[in-house]
Amino acid sequence: MVIAQRLPNFRIRIDESQCIGAGRCVIAAPDLFDQRESDGVVMVMTQSPAPDAYDRAVKAAAQCPARVIEIVAI
Amino acid sequence: MTTEQLPEAPPFPFTRERPLDPPDLYARARRERSIFPVTLWNGQRAWLLTTHAHFRAVLTDPRFSGEFARPDFPAVTKARVAIDKAERAFVGMDNPRHGHFRRMFTKEFTARRMLALRPRIEQITADLLDTMARRGPPLDLVEHLAVELPSLVMCALFGSPYEDHTFIMKCAAGRHGLTQSPEEAARTARDLVDYCRRLIDAKERAPADDMLSRVIDEHVKPGNLSRDDLAEICSMILRAGHDTTTNMIGLGTLMLLNHPDQLARLKADPNLVERAVEELLRLGAPVQFAPRRVALEDVEIGGELIRKGDGVFAVTPSANRDEAVFKDPDRLDVDRDASEQLAFGYGIHHCLGQGLARIELQVVFAQLFQRFPNLRLAVSESEVSFKSDMQIYGVYRLPVAW
Repeated sequence: MVIAQRLPNFRIRIDESQCIGAGRCVIAAPDLFDQRESDGVVMVMTQSPAPDAYDRAVKAAAQCPARVIEIVAI
Repeated sequence: MTTEQLPEAPPFPFTRERPLDPPDLYARARRERSIFPVTLWNGQRAWLLTTHAHFRAVLTDPRFSGEFARPDFPAVTKARVAIDKAERAFVGMDNPRHGHFRRMFTKEFTARRMLALRPRIEQITADLLDTMARRGPPLDLVEHLAVELPSLVMCALFGSPYEDHTFIMKCAAGRHGLTQSPEEAARTARDLVDYCRRLIDAKERAPADDMLSRVIDEHVKPGNLSRDDLAEICSMILRAGHDTTTNMIGLGTLMLLNHPDQLARLKADPNLVERAVEELLRLGAPVQFAPRRVALEDVEIGGELIRKGDGVFAVTPSANRDEAVFKDPDRLDVDRDASEQLAFGYGIHHCLGQGLARIELQVVFAQLFQRFPNLRLAVSESEVSFKSDMQIYGVYRLPVAW
């Protein structure tokens, strides 16, 4: 039997001032994150990510070496 | 379980019992006193952070400074103090100065830029393996692959002339020794910065499609970055771009050869290479005695009081074997998700070149064992000489056959 899991709606917040542009999040979830050409600072690609991207967003946040990604359930 | 008392503030650094494992005292410290007091060469007291959690906490805590030039900044040798005092690149600065300079370089190292370099790195690697095949076994993998690959990649990306790489490697090693004199260390550091000044002059006269030429164009010409500051940063990037990757290629190859079952997994499923590289970085952790910080105020952490002015070493080889994060931590397991390993540091000083290093290592470990599936050591392991006299660990030579 398959139990449907309720996936949270969420938002991604970046503290741009502290971002070091390592780009680990882009490798982990290229559909959610990209980096500015001008200085490598990370940008969130979508304001309303699909709920099924939640796990990858959390993984990307965990890999951020500057701890600037926050995943907020809404 | 040992009942022996933990030594009280023993001299640091410690000696390894086995060449491919960090000193046993780290594991005991993690269990019994994870923020562990040690005594440095000059009698100064410092603390080791031996766990993954404390490593990450301190390196993101603004109450700790990474200014190399501070008089209380901890160092493993007198020579290292000489080098720290001479350091002018952002590796030895706190924010906001650090961020001001680093941001001029981050666009050059974005994930997409690094991924775009992959075909070129694959070609360079394939050519080196062709040359190895032509020469035939046995040969030294360090000389023919581990040194060559990062040199050729830095040449293509950064714009440093290939023929200068022996000199650059020598300067990097001169800085990382545990045994050289302060004068010698300071001189090699100065030599590389002087070399970088000449390289910048040459690039200004004859720009090319490389990082150094772009930075000159974007930041030096408009007056945002002085030539002296760029020479210091250039020196930092060159030595970091060579030494550490070279050491990881040698250590990683040896670790895989020592674990035929794990190597067989990797050969059977090349898609495992990304995981395998994280695992090799976790266990190899060539940067042994860093990152370092100094407390700017009294800080209580993990039941210890770190006083203002105390030095702290975040010990990467220990944090990477923290059993709270990595199950059965001393075991090489290429299927493991080791992506939270800390070989590139953590916080604002996290390695600028990690994306490049990761791709170089992924390419080299994928290709090496495809090209030479029967690769093996050409000497017994006891004949492999390890860099136990260096701050950046590795092997001096790795004779292989196939």
